[in-house]
Amino acid sequence: MSATVQQIQEAIAHTGAARELLWASRTTDAVIHALAETARRWLPADSPWRARAIEQAPEPTGFSPEMVNAIVDLIFGQLTHAALGELLDRELGSRRVLDEFSLRGHLQTHATGPRLITHILAGNVPAPGILSICCGLLLRSANLVKLSARDPVFPALFVESLREVDAPLADCVAVLDWPRTETDVTKAALAEAEAVLAYGDDRTIAALRQLTPPAAKFIGYGHKVSFAVIAREAMTAEQLPLLAERAAFDISIYDQQGCLSPHVIYVEERGALGPRRFATALAEAMTAYQQRVPRGALTVEETAQITTIRTGYQFRAESDRRVSVWAPPTSNDWLVVYDDDPSFSPSCLNRTVFVKPTDGFPRVLTNVRRFASQISTVGVAPMNERVMAFAGDLAQMGVSRVCEIGEMQRPPLAWHHDGRPNLAELVRWTDVG
Amino acid sequence: MTKTDLQDRVLAFIGGAADDFNDLALAVFAFQREHNLPYRNYCGHRVVERWQDIPAVPTSAFKHLPIACFPVAEAVAEFHTSGTTAAQAGKHYFKTLALYDAACVPNFRAHLFPDGATMPLLSLVPDQPHSSLAYMIRRLGAQFVDRLAPVTEPVCVLGTAFHFLNLFDAGFRLKLPAGSRVMETGGFKGRAREVSKRELHRLIAERLGVTMIINEYGMTELSTQFYDRQPGSDCKDVPPWARVLIMDPATGREAQPGQRGLIRVFDLANLWSAMAIQTEDLGVAVGNGFEILGRIAGADVRGCSLNAEPQ
Repeated sequence: MSATVQQIQEAIAHTGAARELLWASRTTDAVIHALAETARRWLPADSPWRARAIEQAPEPTGFSPEMVNAIVDLIFGQLTHAALGELLDRELGSRRVLDEFSLRGHLQTHATGPRLITHILAGNVPAPGILSICCGLLLRSANLVKLSARDPVFPALFVESLREVDAPLADCVAVLDWPRTETDVTKAALAEAEAVLAYGDDRTIAALRQLTPPAAKFIGYGHKVSFAVIAREAMTAEQLPLLAERAAFDISIYDQQGCLSPHVIYVEERGALGPRRFATALAEAMTAYQQRVPRGALTVEETAQITTIRTGYQFRAESDRRVSVWAPPTSNDWLVVYDDDPSFSPSCLNRTVFVKPTDGFPRVLTNVRRFASQISTVGVAPMNERVMAFAGDLAQMGVSRVCEIGEMQRPPLAWHHDGRPNLAELVRWTDVG
Repeated sequence: MTKTDLQDRVLAFIGGAADDFNDLALAVFAFQREHNLPYRNYCGHRVVERWQDIPAVPTSAFKHLPIACFPVAEAVAEFHTSGTTAAQAGKHYFKTLALYDAACVPNFRAHLFPDGATMPLLSLVPDQPHSSLAYMIRRLGAQFVDRLAPVTEPVCVLGTAFHFLNLFDAGFRLKLPAGSRVMETGGFKGRAREVSKRELHRLIAERLGVTMIINEYGMTELSTQFYDRQPGSDCKDVPPWARVLIMDPATGREAQPGQRGLIRVFDLANLWSAMAIQTEDLGVAVGNGFEILGRIAGADVRGCSLNAEPQ
């Protein structure tokens, strides 16, 4: 149902009033507690919230029920009391600064969150939207959330589950839905925001930035891509099966729709096992993951993209030893392409991945440089000294996160999303002294 | 049958001689399987008894392997796809242009001049070496022009969607004489904004005063072009020496009637390269023709609206 301008204005008034009440009645610790308790209620296998997500999310998101189940673990498993507290402490120095004037050097200082945050969510993966709402609540802001047509389920269910734990806190969030073509409604949603958090493709973000009043803070999270690099030290027979399994998880979860999903796995040559062996092991691991967590339904266009890549490479592979293809015999559930052309090939997603050999880290840097501003995460194995030096080079290039393969989709809550703080940019400081 | 006999037989068929498509297609398939190593490798030991089962060469193969049934050094012409770098361009080698010419000219005339009219042809497409479209336009006897000037007699204007839109974006407007016509062929390369075929035809009608507008579907990897059955129709005609199947990408089999899928073309005029071509375009079968629904997103540049920065 599409929200109207009037409904937006009512939601702003309602959440604003709820925020006033909250300031008098909740400490930051109480908010942390409520969020962690809410997340905890999603985690049991028989959680009614989990069951509702599994029932409702597959249709709009396109994810399989098994995938929705896995996503619940991924999102709510990380929203712990300790992690939420660490996020605040790391970004603001101490969570106390949100509750009272705290001594910082010679100054007493106090941080205040925006009165109203408008969140414009994207539909490819649900995690950033849930975290966005949590950030707004940690700062005790009023939150106006625009759902994406592709994922109306997770944010709405999350707020509903929060209401069960702490209704006054849940009152600080209004979740609404309207088509992006309704510019008047979007304008109304942005008009009174002190901060706007926007997720989506570059064009959407540019359009929203235009509509946002100049006084508001605007933070846009555009689409990113990720890749992984396996150093030769990791290419041993003992490590290979687990490494392939962890890579298959990073690729397959969210059906590769996320910004942290790897498109290409570079494998360094001259290890005990060659790069092609990794592709073979990865194909086995992709099969195993597909059996546990099937890929979701695809549109004709998405299937056609996969088929086009697969048949193109299959044709070549019969005559060109530099390329090989691994695919299920009768489906498009996943696709592993080995191609010794080292250039970065963005995948068509939905569990299509390129494995490419490389003669070293400097070459990888050259090959990915033209996508530098759009790279989020680089998965690596193993995390040794040589790889840490490479991480320094990646940082120089603008990559925002380097982590072990298998952890690409589990950024810590306190990570710098797209290289920036999550909360520090949102607060306003008041000093005494 | 020798190669020359086979070429003569295909030429005669394109020219209207009676023959059996299936028979001819299987003969061409056998010839191509024998004389093109990458194709032979791909076909393996497959048994093929009807043209529908002839393995199709994906268009991307033209970028990486010689898809030719003769030594490419003997090619009289080669047409290149418009890749961003030379390494990415697909190459279609021609042993002779006789088949291309035979397939191209009468088919064009039948769709643009069903009334038998004759008039000057003006091309907004620049003349470029290795462009199959530019070759076709030369072969049709068109004149390459930078801009359209007022004329007193009817003309036929040829251009890509890109050329027409660029013209109109600059505010261009010219009333062409009654009886004038336009052939537009897809292609928005380098433009931020694409428009639908319907919108493009509306603009052409409004800005040039032309109502006879025909869309052409052709590609570097083919020797035959496909035209709208008539102005305003979305259905492409398939000439007798070609066939089109819509393939279900999920199963690799022919799509159900009315179901969208990937367009696969069987073009006998591609005798010296590959008759069966798997395109990267989506379409749907319509009557005994087909409708084009557009190229699959990101066939070349993939990823979530990723913009490669210039190197």
